[in-house]
Amino acid sequence: MIVMRSMDKTMTCAEFQDALPELFEAQSDLSAHEHLKTCENCAALVRDLEYIASQARLLLPIHDPSPAVWDNIQQAIRRGDPEPPAAVRK
Amino acid sequence: MTLTAQKTTNSSATGALSHGTIAKERFVLMAGPTQPRPANQHMRRNPPIAGEQEAIDKAREGDGRAFETLYAMHKRRVYSLCLRMLGNVAEAEDLTQEAFLQLYRKIGTFRGDSAFSTWLHRLAVNVVLMHLRRKGLPQVSLEETLEPSQDDGPRKDIGARDLTLSGSIDRVTLERAIENLPPGYRLVFVLHDVEGYEHNEIAEMLDCSIGNSKSQLHKARMKLRDLLRTGQRKEQIA
Repeated sequence: MIVMRSMDKTMTCAEFQDALPELFEAQSDLSAHEHLKTCENCAALVRDLEYIASQARLLLPIHDPSPAVWDNIQQAIRRGDPEPPAAVRK
Repeated sequence: MTLTAQKTTNSSATGALSHGTIAKERFVLMAGPTQPRPANQHMRRNPPIAGEQEAIDKAREGDGRAFETLYAMHKRRVYSLCLRMLGNVAEAEDLTQEAFLQLYRKIGTFRGDSAFSTWLHRLAVNVVLMHLRRKGLPQVSLEETLEPSQDDGPRKDIGARDLTLSGSIDRVTLERAIENLPPGYRLVFVLHDVEGYEHNEIAEMLDCSIGNSKSQLHKARMKLRDLLRTGQRKEQIA
């Protein structure tokens, strides 16, 4: 991270974008990054990527499989299709 | 990673036993607008589930009710993962069924080194990947599955000032864009940004490095941005 900070002001867009995966993980607020203070294009990119990630969190699972799935699992177990757990086979 | 052939089960069959009750609702549907947050700030979405360990212990001994409890605890997330990866209810249900049959077969090998949810997702991911490969993806390593061809990948965005996305994506649009991601990108994006798994957990599920998981997630977000911006341009032209 120290090395990265020393490069902030001289980073090209390509270098900044190459570093983005790590920057996203390492910094909670990328808007403070030196490169973004002078590069509107990369600032817009970061805003978009953060927005996509935030919107994705709203897509939590809301659908259940139909009851037939559990019925089929039980039938398969009864038929002995999958071998039972090792503890049961002893 | 070595994947073994899986037996496909028929979801159209019906059973005589009743479906169990949901032991515990794990998911919170977040409604309403939210402010964008930094991409690395995650809610804790995979907390320990009360009663899970007891159910695991009993299911390992062949207790059917305990296995049903585990199914009730995890069916929604496994099914959602399958549905997002396949985009087809019938196939998603078949693979959910197959994942839980594998769970029944292998639960004795769960040692608790990782969270049960992570371990189960790994089973489900393997089932999904095997299915995708059967459907036509080449028989390649996981790394290659995770790394789409150059044509499918995202572009760097250098000097291309254009409209921004902020505030303009609805759920349906985003879901559709995710469906259009290459499968490898889609898998990592869904596991991390939608399901809330951490990179170390995803790396364990996919047998890849943490760096690979981070890199794939970034490429997935970049590709999504491409797809969403392209969609916006088409809307503007229309």
